[in-house]
Amino acid sequence: MAGTIYRKPMTFAVAALVAVLVGSVATMAYPMLRADMHPKVEGLKPLSPLELAGRDIYQREGCMGCHTQMVRPLRSEVVRYGGMRSPEPAGRYSIAGEFAYDHPFLWGSKRTGPDLAFEGWLKPAAWHAAHFKNPQAVVPRSNMPAYAFLEGRLLDGAEMQAHMRALRVVGVPYTDEDIAKAPAALLGKTEMDGLVAYVISLGKAVDRGARAVVEARLDLQNPVAGNAGAVAKGKALYADNCAACHGDAAEGTPEVAPSLVDDIFLEVKGDMPDAAYFTLVKGGSDAKKALGRPGFKEGGMPAFSGQLSDEEIWSIIAWLRERKAHPGGK
Amino acid sequence: MNDYRYDHRTVQGFILSAIFWGVVGILVGLLISVQLWYPAANFPPYLTYGRLRPVHTNGLAFGLGVGAIFGLSFWMVMRLAKRPLLFPRLARVQLWLFNVGIAAAAVSLLAGYTQSNEYAELEWPLDIAIVVLWVMFAVNILGTILKRHEEQMYVSLWYIVATVVAVAVLYIVNNLAIPAGPMKSYHVFAGVNSANVQWWYGHNAVGFVFTTPILAMFYYFLPKATGLPIYSHRLSIVAFWSLVFAYLWTGAHHLVYSPLPDWLQTLGIVFTLFLIAPSWGSVVNGYYTVGQDWSKMRSNYLTKFFVLGITFYGLQTVQGPTQALRVVSQLIHFTDWVPGHVHMGTMGWVAMIVTASVYYVIPKIYGVQIHSERIANVHFWLVLVGQLLFSLTMWITGVRQGFMWKATDQDGKLVYQNFMDSLVGNYPFWQLRTLAGVVFTVGMLFFVYNVLMTIRKGRAFEAGRATPVGPAAASAA
Repeated sequence: MAGTIYRKPMTFAVAALVAVLVGSVATMAYPMLRADMHPKVEGLKPLSPLELAGRDIYQREGCMGCHTQMVRPLRSEVVRYGGMRSPEPAGRYSIAGEFAYDHPFLWGSKRTGPDLAFEGWLKPAAWHAAHFKNPQAVVPRSNMPAYAFLEGRLLDGAEMQAHMRALRVVGVPYTDEDIAKAPAALLGKTEMDGLVAYVISLGKAVDRGARAVVEARLDLQNPVAGNAGAVAKGKALYADNCAACHGDAAEGTPEVAPSLVDDIFLEVKGDMPDAAYFTLVKGGSDAKKALGRPGFKEGGMPAFSGQLSDEEIWSIIAWLRERKAHPGGK
Repeated sequence: MNDYRYDHRTVQGFILSAIFWGVVGILVGLLISVQLWYPAANFPPYLTYGRLRPVHTNGLAFGLGVGAIFGLSFWMVMRLAKRPLLFPRLARVQLWLFNVGIAAAAVSLLAGYTQSNEYAELEWPLDIAIVVLWVMFAVNILGTILKRHEEQMYVSLWYIVATVVAVAVLYIVNNLAIPAGPMKSYHVFAGVNSANVQWWYGHNAVGFVFTTPILAMFYYFLPKATGLPIYSHRLSIVAFWSLVFAYLWTGAHHLVYSPLPDWLQTLGIVFTLFLIAPSWGSVVNGYYTVGQDWSKMRSNYLTKFFVLGITFYGLQTVQGPTQALRVVSQLIHFTDWVPGHVHMGTMGWVAMIVTASVYYVIPKIYGVQIHSERIANVHFWLVLVGQLLFSLTMWITGVRQGFMWKATDQDGKLVYQNFMDSLVGNYPFWQLRTLAGVVFTVGMLFFVYNVLMTIRKGRAFEAGRATPVGPAAASAA
């Protein structure tokens, strides 16, 4: 190896370049030519102008410095982020095809706060708006900065049109019509609206909801009503699954989720039977129609079938019933 | 000596600029470390953790790191080519552009202009300025080497040339983006492909900013400072070529368990493991070099910087490949373990070698002695203790949090369903980390003081010497 290369700088530089390029071509350039680097899930839609504005804000504020957007195929992770509700095994974790329009990817590298890849299936818009405004009011001891200032800033339709045109150049299929309609869609919308819309769009390209249609059967009785063990279990399950929105004491969070211990249920005075609670927890807001009461206009209650067993849901209801000062309605 | 005088001012200008941006970057680091356990220290919209973190990473990687690399590479190239820079004025313009660029970069990041790719956050107008800067650097480095007065190129020159070539390729490819406004663009690559290109870049930014140029300094300044020749020339050849060849294959180890195709992940992991060999080639070479006379650890205050620096490099290059293993990655990836790892490399390896090299160069510029070896020793111990405390707290809390995320009971249910359970456990460790950062910062301030006092001493010495001779010394430009 005592070659003359160490006396010929230009030859040396070329040799170094070649050494560097071999691995670059093999692991960076060549894979681009393969189909497995460009998958796309069926029916994948580009972000709406409002969601795209939100994504730009997500980038601007450096959200990816603390939040990942990638659920790994590890059991504990799939369970934590609600992936088990997906009817297809592959939908339980993040898959390549759902990121086909992400320029760039925003998977992040540090999970100071929770992963957001499936956020669209986890919490409603109202929760996010309240949380962005003042995170500690919703999640005590959280270390997230407050983003209340986003509320006072209006989105610019012309700017978003330019962003959509640039994305079209790199392959996101926005049509002329999409771009023409953007300013109207953004009229009067704030940066807060955009960021919330983006966050609740995450993970929606793949079905990760509870597919099972929940039938409202108001004749069901709570099999564990009054059982002390079930009440204790229900309390713990409530803390893990419900408290984030409905509050630690189930007394609700203003503008996010209603109290569960007062006498108003789905916006109407007067309690309902345990079976109605059961239907709502299992089927989410979609199931409320069967109960004949309006509820929050935007809904937002996720379906917990697939995540909680029937027995666990009944336990939570048993605990809630313990906390109420009045008997169940009819 | 007069031929070099102008160039030496440029070198010193880069060193002082690097120190300035280094102090800024370290203070921002302290602030964001506080923000993690005391959210009221965020001041939206400009001074939130999300906007400040890239200021910290870019300020230190490009302000301190690249600034020092520019200055010290010019110094090494002049010595090893036995001639002044080929384009001295170009280097001076590069110095000014560098400072304007870093200042503009910091302001733009605070304003929220970012591409969101780690270590490639800067938006497209700044990317163009950085490419111009790099071309200026490359022209001077390659030009001076071409017109050298010493036939053989020493190891350090190989590493400098490899840095020049590799950074150019990496930076240009990963920053390919379509502008969507004056300070907004979108990566041309999408999804998994975007991730793959970014981490090919991201890992090699570590390789060709925090490794190869620092190795160039190690191979040059260690023998210079100690008077001991490098132990094995052959080993340095083998280590060099295998390092620059293997590094580029390893980016996918940042994407283990991601949607990236498995074959790419495995390929990245395998090459990452292989990378232990060339890394340790330089570690062994360093140890055997000092091993020729261990008494230098006592008699020469700089030796310990190099020995500890290469030790942390050695630890870093075993820990990194360990992290790439799937079974380890699933536990520690996304946790604070990783910042612990990164900071051992930057605070342990890079900071040790760069500060020792600066201690060597500044007195040489003026022909004086360092202001105080005692202060340098205090600096050494504070930086060492601060870095160890930093990394250890981060490793502990990273493993702690990783296990809490994974913990399931016999029914497969999460033991810590609420994410906050694992997060609040970080707070005491993050507070300790801030304390570690303060210790490290104080150490670095001792370094800054020592350098500034040495320059002051050098100027006084020069003034005393120049007076009888007259203005001749100023004509070198």
